[in-house]
Amino acid sequence: MASPNNDKTLITFWGTRGSVSTPGRITEKYGGNTPCVTVCHKDTTVILDAGTGIRNLGIELVQGADTEANPLSLHLFLSHTHWDHIQGLPFFQPAYLENTHLTIYGSHKKERFLASVLKGQMDYDYFPVAMSSLTADISIQEISEEVIQLGPIRIDWQEQVYHPGSSVRYRAHVNGKRIVYATDVELDQLFYGTDADENREFLCREYLGFIQNADLLIADGMYTEEEYPHKTGWGHSSIPVLIEAASRARVKQLAVFHHDPQHSDTFLDDLWVKSRSKHRSEDHRMVVFWAREGLTLSI
Amino acid sequence: MNKNDEKTKIWPVDSARAESQEEGDFGDTTTVEMDRERFTGEVPVALRAYFEIISSDGKNELFELGEREISIGRSPRCDIHLPSESVSRRHARVTFRNEEYFIEDLDSTNGLYVNGIKVEKCVLRNNDQIEIGGEKILFNEERTLQKKDGIAE
Repeated sequence: MASPNNDKTLITFWGTRGSVSTPGRITEKYGGNTPCVTVCHKDTTVILDAGTGIRNLGIELVQGADTEANPLSLHLFLSHTHWDHIQGLPFFQPAYLENTHLTIYGSHKKERFLASVLKGQMDYDYFPVAMSSLTADISIQEISEEVIQLGPIRIDWQEQVYHPGSSVRYRAHVNGKRIVYATDVELDQLFYGTDADENREFLCREYLGFIQNADLLIADGMYTEEEYPHKTGWGHSSIPVLIEAASRARVKQLAVFHHDPQHSDTFLDDLWVKSRSKHRSEDHRMVVFWAREGLTLSI
Repeated sequence: MNKNDEKTKIWPVDSARAESQEEGDFGDTTTVEMDRERFTGEVPVALRAYFEIISSDGKNELFELGEREISIGRSPRCDIHLPSESVSRRHARVTFRNEEYFIEDLDSTNGLYVNGIKVEKCVLRNNDQIEIGGEKILFNEERTLQKKDGIAE
């Protein structure tokens, strides 16, 4: 993990793949692990989602660190509790260290409590270690406050309805910069849906307002324009609609995220070449790239 | 033969014949020893990684990467010396960890770019294009079978 030893805010991608992990040679560049991203500023570490990518983050946090003298204090924000966003948690080494403080935040709108959903994936039928055996000091909080202040990082959030079971998008404000994490949402339905949802116009404005002028937007861009019509209602966005929305909101850098498991490195490289020039306008130049496992940016 | 009597004989060679046996009877068995080295005369995969430092005159220079840390910068003391005003004295470093190469910016003035994106740190993959103060470097990685005498195929 690149050490945040100055005023830089570091964003690291530990998992970028959507739906299911995809190990193998054809995915090694963009990565095969499911979503996990960190935002670090000075001593504060915010983790976004606990897909399989969180396993490598855990190793990195523990390896070579004196966790006895310097206990880890971590804040994990879950976009939602579908498998690909929580499956790495039982393999997160710091959760097995007694002196780790781990706070897990997630949506308060679910029918079941967040704690029972997370505990459920560690039932003996699915996993040999029960959640109660995680020795870290773990606190599970269903978010209700509009803003959560964690040292120098302030987090606000909004619900996203265009995903089965809904999801949450988060925005980190740090050092005058804004980093938005908005995955697992079907922007094509939000902006171009044919349903008669009277609330949709409000939701469109709300979304654009949330990502407005973001220094970095990490967002669901799972499908190509050609693929999307076959995936309508699945809760994920097509890349052109994402780029259009981000460009309208004058986002500075867009990380296309939650890659389709079928998209190989070569496919994504070709797609990037085709897509990268489409968002450029005379008065706004947005950097667009495909989120890649093992990449750390400084904002 | 009962499988409990001959625990060391582990697997039937002829699957069609095995299927004809009654359940629990594994018939005549043979253990096949697989020795890759003897079979191929080669030892398994060797990793070769190198930078191709792109030159405007077409005479690109190759720099082989090993397991030790490599520094890149304007200073002549750097392992890869890039004598350009746009390059910081110690601009970036390359480390090898868990069988992967990482490139990392060392608080340079003009930043480190991988495939056109300004990065702080990045794992390197084959054909990654690195840009340091306008100087271009291509990362190449090859996995080859290696002869016993160490000469790569």
